[in-house]
Amino acid sequence: MKKRNKISAEFSMSSLTDIIFLLLIFFMLTSSMVQINVQLAESNSKTVAPSDLIVMMSQDGKMSFNGKPVSGSSLQSRVNGELGQMTNKENASISIVAEVGVPWRKINDVIVIAKNLGIKAHIATQPVKS
Amino acid sequence: MSSLTDIIFLLLIFFMLTSSMVVPNALNLRMPGKSKTITNQPKYLPTEIKITRKGNYYLNGSKASLLGIEKAVRNTVRERGKFSLVVIPDDNVANERVVAILDIAYRYQIDAIMTDPK
Repeated sequence: MKKRNKISAEFSMSSLTDIIFLLLIFFMLTSSMVQINVQLAESNSKTVAPSDLIVMMSQDGKMSFNGKPVSGSSLQSRVNGELGQMTNKENASISIVAEVGVPWRKINDVIVIAKNLGIKAHIATQPVKS
Repeated sequence: MSSLTDIIFLLLIFFMLTSSMVVPNALNLRMPGKSKTITNQPKYLPTEIKITRKGNYYLNGSKASLLGIEKAVRNTVRERGKFSLVVIPDDNVANERVVAILDIAYRYQIDAIMTDPK
């Protein structure tokens, strides 16, 4: 009797399903974490806004820092407090997410805070609609 | 099993696309006092853009549209190479009017110098 050792040539689908399922959960979670439902100023910039220090401003004058409401006067101390906990202070950057119509002076105030703290600043924009 | 994979794959592609759409882009601002490079004294006076409270643009003192400013910037880049734009916004102007100028500067790879409205 001859014993034949055949290698199975069948493809197992379940491992592929596992990987795709994992990726699916990852993208579902990350997409729900980012909540920006405001109309932003348009630009052609391709730089992705850093998401470590986010200052959001809406047209009705409300301001939030990393998702929590904040007043203009306490923003600097809040940013400074957050900065103290960060490990990569050299590359820290404030992302200014301002709805269209927000007066420039408010954005200027945040830029001045970034300058005082010695960190960078970005203005968040959305791609130009054609 | 393959039908399940199909559905999950479809959902995966959907969430991949939507997650890349919600992340906003950004214009980088350079802060004063950070750069250590010594810049040469410019040969020409900087081009000045004033933005009024209502969002009207004034290029070197005369009223201009956004398209007109872009045309002027394009011509100046062709003539002189790199130059600087000095942007003087009114403190109550809507931010998208200022960002539009910063976007022109970004596209033509030139410096836009912001002035403090105060």
